[in-house]
Amino acid sequence: MSAAPAARPAPPGRSAALPIGLLGFLAITIWAGISIDFNPIEIIEGIGGADRIVGALVQPNWSFLPNTAQPMLETFQMAVIATAIGCAVALPLAFVASRVTSPNRVSYILDRSVLNVIRAIPDILYALVFVSAVSIGPLAGILALILFNIGVVAKLLSETVDGVDTGPIEAARAGGAGRVQTVGASVLPQVMPNYVAYSLYTFELNIRASTVIGIVGAGGIGNVLNTQLKFFNYSNVSVVIIELFVFVFVIEFISIAVRRRLV
Amino acid sequence: MTARATAVRPTAPSHARRNASIAAVAILVIWAMLTVGVDAGKLLRLPGQLVQIGSRMFPPDVEYIGTAWTGMLESLQMAWVGTLIGAVLSLPLGFFGAKNISSGFASNVIRQFLNAIRAFPEIVLAILLVTIVGLGPIAGALAIGIHSIGTLGKLTAEVIEGIDPGPVEAARAAGGRPIQIQRWGVLPQVLPDTVAFWLYRFEINIRAAAVLGIVGAGGIGAVLQNTVVYRRWDKAGMAIIIVVVITILIDFVSGAIRRRIIEGGSGASAQPELIEADGEAG
Repeated sequence: MSAAPAARPAPPGRSAALPIGLLGFLAITIWAGISIDFNPIEIIEGIGGADRIVGALVQPNWSFLPNTAQPMLETFQMAVIATAIGCAVALPLAFVASRVTSPNRVSYILDRSVLNVIRAIPDILYALVFVSAVSIGPLAGILALILFNIGVVAKLLSETVDGVDTGPIEAARAGGAGRVQTVGASVLPQVMPNYVAYSLYTFELNIRASTVIGIVGAGGIGNVLNTQLKFFNYSNVSVVIIELFVFVFVIEFISIAVRRRLV
Repeated sequence: MTARATAVRPTAPSHARRNASIAAVAILVIWAMLTVGVDAGKLLRLPGQLVQIGSRMFPPDVEYIGTAWTGMLESLQMAWVGTLIGAVLSLPLGFFGAKNISSGFASNVIRQFLNAIRAFPEIVLAILLVTIVGLGPIAGALAIGIHSIGTLGKLTAEVIEGIDPGPVEAARAAGGRPIQIQRWGVLPQVLPDTVAFWLYRFEINIRAAAVLGIVGAGGIGAVLQNTVVYRRWDKAGMAIIIVVVITILIDFVSGAIRRRIIEGGSGASAQPELIEADGEAG
């Protein structure tokens, strides 16, 4: 276009945000490292003592397997119940927490805040409080998992609802549908595959969370794991970990197959 | 195209399979509820118990704020150091685990290694590390760090597999050495997503750090356990408020930064800044 020699474009201006951000990052890192006494040399020296544990972990004691059957079944049952109830409760909460389907601004903000609080409370705290309220056993674990699941599913699903195609919603409204009818006829079919996928994902999370939940006495395989760890029976611990791994792997496999069929 | 014959109403698609799966799930749930061995009496007493606990939690013991804050701060420090360990170690593993960068065999080996790490429950890692490096936040930070390697490494590898091969070819054509090709052809493309994952992992790790104290790995977890187990509900209430407020606050800030990184808030300059960020931090 122009006959003049091409001038080299000016380099983009340097923003002050980067050096300031980096300095902040370094400062936080040094502060955090010093505060928790993070000393790499000491850690590497300590790891020398790990060979006994690792040695036991790589030699799983398979004769322990029958002892884990009943607690594993309990974990499975707890996960089934908590997933069913948690996902059912999360469904309406997710619709109210999305700008697309929320009845009004007040309910939107209120629901979002409640969900944020539910998600901010760690699962172990739910377990502790419910153990305290209904004593040890699977009920406390199920209740803790339900709250944990509501937080996860409602958040994921509300984000999916935010992204739906609004055409069907307008069509339903134009057809004279009420609010619930609109959601049921035009939004729910669009997010259904995701909802099922999130439910399966939650089920998997529940199996994983059972290790944490069981430590405070809320039932399932976590109780066994905790006892074996306390008695330093790492060969038995290894069996439980491998079992959980297989369990999670199978669920993931099923989940992928189901999702492929749905989407 | 134009049918002259009378329009035949299409037969409705079969719902048999869908209905069968719904029935199967329903049966599974009912079976679980009937056999899990939950005492119905306990369930009936639950609402009353919760009201009682709630009424003792609030108003919370305001004087306990110092202890709760110290515990939460330690959890944050654990999460920060742990995330950093995970980020630093997962980046090279992500490169070696990406099929398009590394060889097929090596990437498979790395991916399986990352899967194995992810499968290991964080709390078990923490318990084992407490016996190795002693009680305290270092065990927690290491547990979080090791677990984060698994998740971050997998995500990084997936991002790298999705890059545009153009810049890599350009770097190669310009005579770049292997390291230079990764540095100028791959890294700039994957860094925004990767850094966003680090931040997201930090949010998750704060929650994990709040749990690990239960097994003696430092942080607010021990505070929560002690107050709840000894039924000091007013103190527990204060600790819960601290956990909730700080967690939501950090989620909010981190979420805003992540959005800015991904969307590049200030337009074209956002990416080069991030490249430099890595050059200096790494």
